[in-house]
Amino acid sequence: MPTKPTPQQFFRRRNRQLLIILLILIGIYWLSMVLVNFQTMSSLAQVPAGLIWLAKNFIPTQRSLSYLGAISFQLWRTLLVSIASTICAGLFSLFFAVLGAKPTAPAPYWRVIVRLGASLVRNIPVVAWSMILLFSFKQSDFTGFLALFFMTLGYLTRAFTETIEDLDPEKLNALRAVGATYLQCVFCGVLPEVATTLMSWLLYMIENNLRDATLVGILTGTGIGFLFNYYFKSFRYDAAGLIVLLIAVLVIALELTSTRIRKAIA
Amino acid sequence: MLKVIDLDKSYNRQKQSLKAVSFTAKPGEVTAIIGPSGAGKTTILRSVNQLIKDDAGQILLDDEDIRQANKSDLRRIRHHIGMIFQNYNLIGPLTALENVLHGRLGAKSTFAGMLGLYSATEKNEAAKLLQDVGLADFALQRCDQLSGGQQQRVGIARALMQHPKMILCDEPIASLDPKSTKLVMDILRELAQSKQLIILINLHQLDIAQTYADHIVGINQGTIVFEGPERALTPEKLQAIYRQPETKAVTADAN
Repeated sequence: MPTKPTPQQFFRRRNRQLLIILLILIGIYWLSMVLVNFQTMSSLAQVPAGLIWLAKNFIPTQRSLSYLGAISFQLWRTLLVSIASTICAGLFSLFFAVLGAKPTAPAPYWRVIVRLGASLVRNIPVVAWSMILLFSFKQSDFTGFLALFFMTLGYLTRAFTETIEDLDPEKLNALRAVGATYLQCVFCGVLPEVATTLMSWLLYMIENNLRDATLVGILTGTGIGFLFNYYFKSFRYDAAGLIVLLIAVLVIALELTSTRIRKAIA
Repeated sequence: MLKVIDLDKSYNRQKQSLKAVSFTAKPGEVTAIIGPSGAGKTTILRSVNQLIKDDAGQILLDDEDIRQANKSDLRRIRHHIGMIFQNYNLIGPLTALENVLHGRLGAKSTFAGMLGLYSATEKNEAAKLLQDVGLADFALQRCDQLSGGQQQRVGIARALMQHPKMILCDEPIASLDPKSTKLVMDILRELAQSKQLIILINLHQLDIAQTYADHIVGINQGTIVFEGPERALTPEKLQAIYRQPETKAVTADAN
């Protein structure tokens, strides 16, 4: 039997372990830098110059304000597409989550099907979705909508399934004991219990999708992403900078609003 | 009249949870099932409305065997059996009134129940029942904001909304303070007498069982070891009910 260490020995041993872990991490960093020929020092030296260039070119000027109309129009459309795709995906996710969650699954094999399906859809990155859908649906807002829809569907199905599984199954037993049918249990028991959590997830996904919409737009040539790409490639960096600024403002505004909504419904 | 005859249940092959359990419970009486933890009290209670599927036996409520019922019969029978729980099991974000109205689900069409389409008569009855259990002021409050005793009374009102022949009570007072316990037990006893209901109740607390029950069923390791009126419960019978399993004593000696 090993002897019990004194407190001094215990702390000495733990400090040694921490030191070893730190050395291993530094070693891994150094090794990867060597392997990809990355010069840490000279890269760091470039940072200030890069930042100055960014500030000179990307800070919006008086001139870029003339683009404000076009930008806000596209931004508005993008926001609406994000909201529409999130809500649509949310409805489908709820349906699949009820089928796939343990307390409400009509049969055990549904759980496997839903889990596999959601995981498959979720693990295809939004970039890949955009590229794939671009070929089938061409350059349109609908392509952007679908790309966001599928990714959201994957995420929300998983999130909703887990929310339903957190529910105390005894509450559903109480409704079954009353003589409630399956659909009555779902509508009168499950949905009221999970509604606020589901709302929070929806709001979070709307924020998230607005951010992703920019990238999806660059790839599918729609919305604010397209406009950003267009200004950027025609060297109108100040206008592109204005887009970045406005997206940030909108996302922050959205975040503040959804926090308030969440507090109000909790 | 509830008659349970030769009920068997095992959750796994090694251990049988219920062995030929038979007892009766009469309308107008409080029947308490007592016994040590793990004796099978909850299994019996949940077999009565088939939340748990037992293996063999008969469960006759007014001579109709719930074990033989098909899906729609089971729904109809369950509609007439109220149930209250240790953890109340109300839908927390809904109001007390909505939870009481859930008692009507077994009698409504799936569609009407899903969408919460209740008639004015049903709503008035639910409000009246809440008033009867002393919660008129809380009818429109969310249930998760009510105290334990209040939630249990909402549970009772939900059960009464079913126009029950019987109310099953699964450890109804295990999470309540003494004052709420008395309130809830007084309501249950009063209901048995005034509405001629069968009240079947699982209890951990022997003193409560002795105070409130007319009829007592004692169970130990899945076997009925006593059934009779409360006054027939002698110290020897009590010892038989709460006897610890011998296997435990043997392993304790071995150590």
